[in-house]
Amino acid sequence: MRRTRAIVRTGAPVAAILVLTALSGCVAPTEPAELFALTPDIPKNRTMQTRMFETPNERELLSASAAVLQDLGFQVEESQRPVGFLRATKERSAREYGQYVRQVLVLILSLGKLMQPVDLHQKIAASLISRPLNAEATRQEVRIMFYRVVWKGDGQVDNQYIPPGEQYMEMIRDPEIYQQFFAKLSKAVFLEAHRI
Amino acid sequence: MNKSAMHITLLGAGLLLAETLSLQGCAAPQPTPDMLAPTEAQMKIRSLQTRSFDLRDRNAAIRGVIASLQDLGFIIERANEGLGLVTAARFAEPNYYDVVTITVTVRQETTEKMSFRANAIYNNKPIEDPKVYQNFFAALQRALFLSQESTASP
Repeated sequence: MRRTRAIVRTGAPVAAILVLTALSGCVAPTEPAELFALTPDIPKNRTMQTRMFETPNERELLSASAAVLQDLGFQVEESQRPVGFLRATKERSAREYGQYVRQVLVLILSLGKLMQPVDLHQKIAASLISRPLNAEATRQEVRIMFYRVVWKGDGQVDNQYIPPGEQYMEMIRDPEIYQQFFAKLSKAVFLEAHRI
Repeated sequence: MNKSAMHITLLGAGLLLAETLSLQGCAAPQPTPDMLAPTEAQMKIRSLQTRSFDLRDRNAAIRGVIASLQDLGFIIERANEGLGLVTAARFAEPNYYDVVTITVTVRQETTEKMSFRANAIYNNKPIEDPKVYQNFFAALQRALFLSQESTASP
């Protein structure tokens, strides 16, 4: 009787850990070839990330884009005018209240055996490309992509310590951020931003 | 007598040690003079990674590379017009820990021909799958052809 209870007592956290590791292990590794194939969500993302402007002045569009990114708190890290390229980043804290709550809940449910790492720091980056759409270059297209890299804090699984600094990457797919950027850009160049 | 026997054993042990040490020294890696010479496999990969198209405008070619990478969902990380260099990356979407990085160089072969070379890396391993490069060049051809279309139209 006592023995079975002991088994149950040690079994519960082990089962919890097993379930959690199984859940996190569910994601199959991606084949490199898959990353070069066109998926159905690519045109949708393209529409969200792209606007067309009726202007012959690509230089003006590019410098206005840099100004808008600065207004949004980004630092321009790289620029190449001949190909219409800009890259800007900003670093912020990635701490979220919900993650701390979940960390404590998991810690209690696993009887103190599992401490999930929480997100600590993030780098938000924007990569912007402008290009002429016709030979006379009277129409320009601006495409921007936002993404972020997140660094995690430390954690623990049973007796094994997880050191901090593990990172993961994420595309930002919130349409509102893109709308906000293009609204500011069209205001800056006094032009209407046309959807493609 | 006893002492000399000990001397002999000590000498033997010393010799043995010296021999093993010298033997280990002998087993030093042989310098391979052809380490940097191209192997057949390398040549094959290079031919997979290289493609030429009939193009005159270098700037349009670089912009075409950028457009094709963006169409494939890549983030442009670096671009250099002077060197004809574009570097881009893409994260595997459900599993954010995997990343593919690609560098494309554009070189003018003749006045009529432009040569493109792509190197792709998956996490930190070079990609040798021909399908990957075929997919990329198909997208590149589409982007270059589309931009040519738009230059032809008024």
